Amino acid sequence: MAVMQRESSAGYITRAPRSSGLADVLEILLDRGLVVDAFVRVSLVGIELLTVDLRVVVASVDTYLRFAEAVNRLDLQAVDQSKSVPDLIGGAEEDGAERKTKGAVEGGMDAIKEKIGLGGRGSDDDDDNED
Amino acid sequence: MSALYLYGVTRPRELPARLSERGIFLVESEGRAAIVSELDAAPVQPSRHNLLAHADVVEELHEQSVVLPTRFGTVLDDHAAALELLALPDIEQLLELHRDRSELTLKGTYEESVLEEVSRPLAPLRDAYRQAPTLEGGIALGEAVTEALADRRDRDLARVLERIERHVEDVVVSKPVGEYGALDLALLVRRDAVEALEAALAEATQELSPPLHLRLVGPLPPYSFVSLELPVAA
Repeated sequence: MAVMQRESSAGYITRAPRSSGLADVLEILLDRGLVVDAFVRVSLVGIELLTVDLRVVVASVDTYLRFAEAVNRLDLQAVDQSKSVPDLIGGAEEDGAERKTKGAVEGGMDAIKEKIGLGGRGSDDDDDNED
Repeated sequence: MSALYLYGVTRPRELPARLSERGIFLVESEGRAAIVSELDAAPVQPSRHNLLAHADVVEELHEQSVVLPTRFGTVLDDHAAALELLALPDIEQLLELHRDRSELTLKGTYEESVLEEVSRPLAPLRDAYRQAPTLEGGIALGEAVTEALADRRDRDLARVLERIERHVEDVVVSKPVGEYGALDLALLVRRDAVEALEAALAEATQELSPPLHLRLVGPLPPYSFVSLELPVAA
């Protein structure tokens, strides 16, 4: 079906005037809306499971270990000047300069940084006005 | 007589050709109308196609005028059942209540870099784990990160709510999904306040991002604000 979807993204907010895909509607369709008990004559096998799955609280040992590994990879020393949010943006230049002095030798480490978003921000520092 | 799949309830009007061509029609009674289509084969499967079709119908009709969306999977026995439904006083009250209102959903997700921000005070714990990467140490560190992230979520939720409360009539706060889920809100908003809400959120993101990304969807029919269960004698 050809529904026109206008979706725009300005900075860190994405705007969609209509739902576009299951992710937008799944919970509200299955979990909310008018319920007319006596009229519901079709029981939908599987829906209960589906909604429960969506709400699984993610606080398992598995998550803990993944977070631990992610934090383990971070260079927390480099940020102990306790940057606030504006500082993170301005401070990208320092990170970038530091990165340049290291050159390509530590590509493995840089590659990891890229992956977790640290290097990514550093590499943006040449065009801060991009937003 | 065949059963009718019920999408929602609205005010009587002409349906767009796009919908009537697909077999959607209205059962009307005294200024109220049930949005239905004939159903050949029961039961209805919660398939991707069916779910999106339901959403598409109620959203399309809500663009012009109020729609009370039904929960997915509601089937009326026949035409008479539709009329019985429309006669319920609650239906008229809800149609009137939501005449000029819409639901917007607002979801927030963190970039992975949020871990860097929330983990700064945890450097000693992290160093201990680095020196002795035991399972216990990993769990302790991860648990501490999870707690720090939960605090961050609470903080950001409070900030977002503070920025938008002037523009919304009601809010349903749900637990966000996923490890990096930040917030999950359903907002009841007057149709003429949607632009003001967008502006307030744009302003809020200057303070909150990065690493928070927001996704605002709507105006949608008020799914989260019609959830009363109507008792009907069968």
